[in-house]
Amino acid sequence: MADRRTERQVLEELSPEQLALLKRVLEIERAKLHITAYDATDDLLAAVKEIIP
Amino acid sequence: MRLHSITLTNFRQFRGKQTLDLTSDAIKPVTLVFGANGAGKTTLLNAFTWGLYGNMSDDVEQQHRMITDSAWRALPIGDSIEVAVEIRFDHEGHEYRVLRSGRLRKESDNQGPLSASLQMWMTGSDGASEVVEAPQEKIFTILPVGVSRFFFFNGERIENLVKKGAYAEVQKDIKVLLDLEQVERALSHLPKVNRKLTDELKKHGGETASAIQDAIDALTDRQTKAKDKLVLIEGDIAELTEERDATLELLRQHNEAAPIQTDRDAVSRELDEARASRDAALTERAILVATKGFQAFTGELGEKTKAVADNLYQKGALPAPLKREFVDQLLDERACICGTPLEENTPPWTHVTEWRQRAGLQAVETAWQRLSGQIAPLAAARTSLRESLATLLERIQTERERVSRLEARKSELDGKLKDSRMEGVQQLESKRIDLDTRIATKNQQKGSIIAELDSVTREIVQKAREMSRAQVTDELAQKARARSELVLAVKKALEDILAYREEDMRRRLDAEVKEVFKGITFKPYVPTLNEGFELTLHQNVDGVELPVPKSTGENQILSLSFVAAVSKLAREIRKGGRAEGESAVDAGTYPIVMDAAFGSLDQDYQEAVSRALAKMAPQLVVLVSKSQGLGKVVDELLPYVSHLGVIEAHTTAPGDIAEDIELEGMAYPYIRSDESDHSELKVIK
Repeated sequence: MADRRTERQVLEELSPEQLALLKRVLEIERAKLHITAYDATDDLLAAVKEIIP
Repeated sequence: MRLHSITLTNFRQFRGKQTLDLTSDAIKPVTLVFGANGAGKTTLLNAFTWGLYGNMSDDVEQQHRMITDSAWRALPIGDSIEVAVEIRFDHEGHEYRVLRSGRLRKESDNQGPLSASLQMWMTGSDGASEVVEAPQEKIFTILPVGVSRFFFFNGERIENLVKKGAYAEVQKDIKVLLDLEQVERALSHLPKVNRKLTDELKKHGGETASAIQDAIDALTDRQTKAKDKLVLIEGDIAELTEERDATLELLRQHNEAAPIQTDRDAVSRELDEARASRDAALTERAILVATKGFQAFTGELGEKTKAVADNLYQKGALPAPLKREFVDQLLDERACICGTPLEENTPPWTHVTEWRQRAGLQAVETAWQRLSGQIAPLAAARTSLRESLATLLERIQTERERVSRLEARKSELDGKLKDSRMEGVQQLESKRIDLDTRIATKNQQKGSIIAELDSVTREIVQKAREMSRAQVTDELAQKARARSELVLAVKKALEDILAYREEDMRRRLDAEVKEVFKGITFKPYVPTLNEGFELTLHQNVDGVELPVPKSTGENQILSLSFVAAVSKLAREIRKGGRAEGESAVDAGTYPIVMDAAFGSLDQDYQEAVSRALAKMAPQLVVLVSKSQGLGKVVDELLPYVSHLGVIEAHTTAPGDIAEDIELEGMAYPYIRSDESDHSELKVIK
């Protein structure tokens, strides 16, 4: 496990867009975590399109 | 999650509406509630799980009798009554009120099934209140039901957490608790997002890009299938391994039991033989008594006969040296043996006639001789009878002792064998071989799937590179490609984060369990949470790590340490350097509600556990009986107690059963006689 990067390292290596999307993705998933039937695809796609319009 | 209060309405023993305030702070995080056995400690614990999840633990008896018996008895047929649990708490900046309630109409003395409904309200920091639409799902998000067993538990049953077979489930629950689920869900959703983007790319990107994307799509499909297959196969392997371990355990038990079984068989045989010998000796004695027993009573007879005969003999009465028949012959022949004629009434004739009187009869003499010949052997026979009887009695005694010794031995061995399930060794052995073969086959399949996954992943990377270099002139296609690349990069980052979090979580839990365990027990045992999430105890004996057999006490402490570690980690893991950014201040904060916290621990451990408990969770509700909670436990915990309560047991039991509990120098009712059986929550401070 020594070669595994820490979460911080992983985050630091991301571009601003990637970081923004990653945070947005987790935010979306987290908000609807209690709705098991929720399909995040459309919301995630919208988030991608917000970052790369 | 910080508990504010719990209100019970006609819930099991708690008649009417009763509230327990639970608000506490970091300095005094403990609510300590005393209750006699049967007063309702377990019920109170289960009120939390029923309120939040609608279920109660298996140790709650008569679960259908939700409404207080006395309230139900008093209810007229046709009327209905409410049963409810309301829990107020706050979580990550919002206040929540959860109400699970139902009404039951009385049709008969027996309570029918209760259909309870759940409502939930949320109040934000601005004071605005709103109804939570999917209340159960929301509760699951706040504290998933699987995870709740780390926070609402019975101390006596807590060791189930570290029992064999529990690891996989515990691992799953911990992942949920420690915030991995959102990452896993994102990872399952992102490929779908990407597929939508690449569809656009294929539509607008021209032939080359479209072809490359087709290849990538095909590869991704293969990858998904392979991943699914891998999950299935890993599940199969886990299942087979568990079955193989169970078989090995049976074989081991069998190996252990085999010598006992052999011993028992030998003892059984010997016992049969001993019983037969004892019975044979008893029969012999019976025969001896029946056939020769009279001899025992001939002692006096022989002596008397001999004395009579001797007496007669001495008197000259018997037996004479002369036989009567011989004298009669002399008298008939009228001549004596000496030649003297024996004329009637002559002096010689008179003399010989007198002899005739003194002479014995031949028959009498013969009888006498025979009789006197038998007097001596009769005594010998008596002696021999006595000796035979003595020998037989000794034999009977010996055999009886042997029988009872063997019976005891056999019972002992039977007891040992009773618990081990004896299946045919042959059958078990072939089952084990079969399982080993199947596991090996599955492992081979797993290996090839992993190899396939590696190669597919490499190909996808290769194709993705080709794609990023491919000429795409269309603007829409270019955008789709950029978006797809963005999604893939995020997906890769999330995969790395998930892998890191899983390992980090295990490592930190392991360290924390070690720390807490060390603080409670004085034994030189070291707990380890291995990569398979198996919690084991080891002892270092001269450099060799030896597994420690987990006695119930150690198991309980191990489980408590694990709960403490999970509780701490749930709070800490959300801090700093995380993709989600800053969490709420109380993120990962959960209360611990424990019944029978000290279970069957002895005094030393009770004290150490009390000390550890106070620091174990940010909020703690401890339910104890007088016998568990007074003395050192209360001394240790009191400085941390914000609320002190007693579940006052009211009972119809006859006699003077009233009992008080003394807390901080004051006596409070603990058990009281009453006209109905119920319990009342009383707040002391």
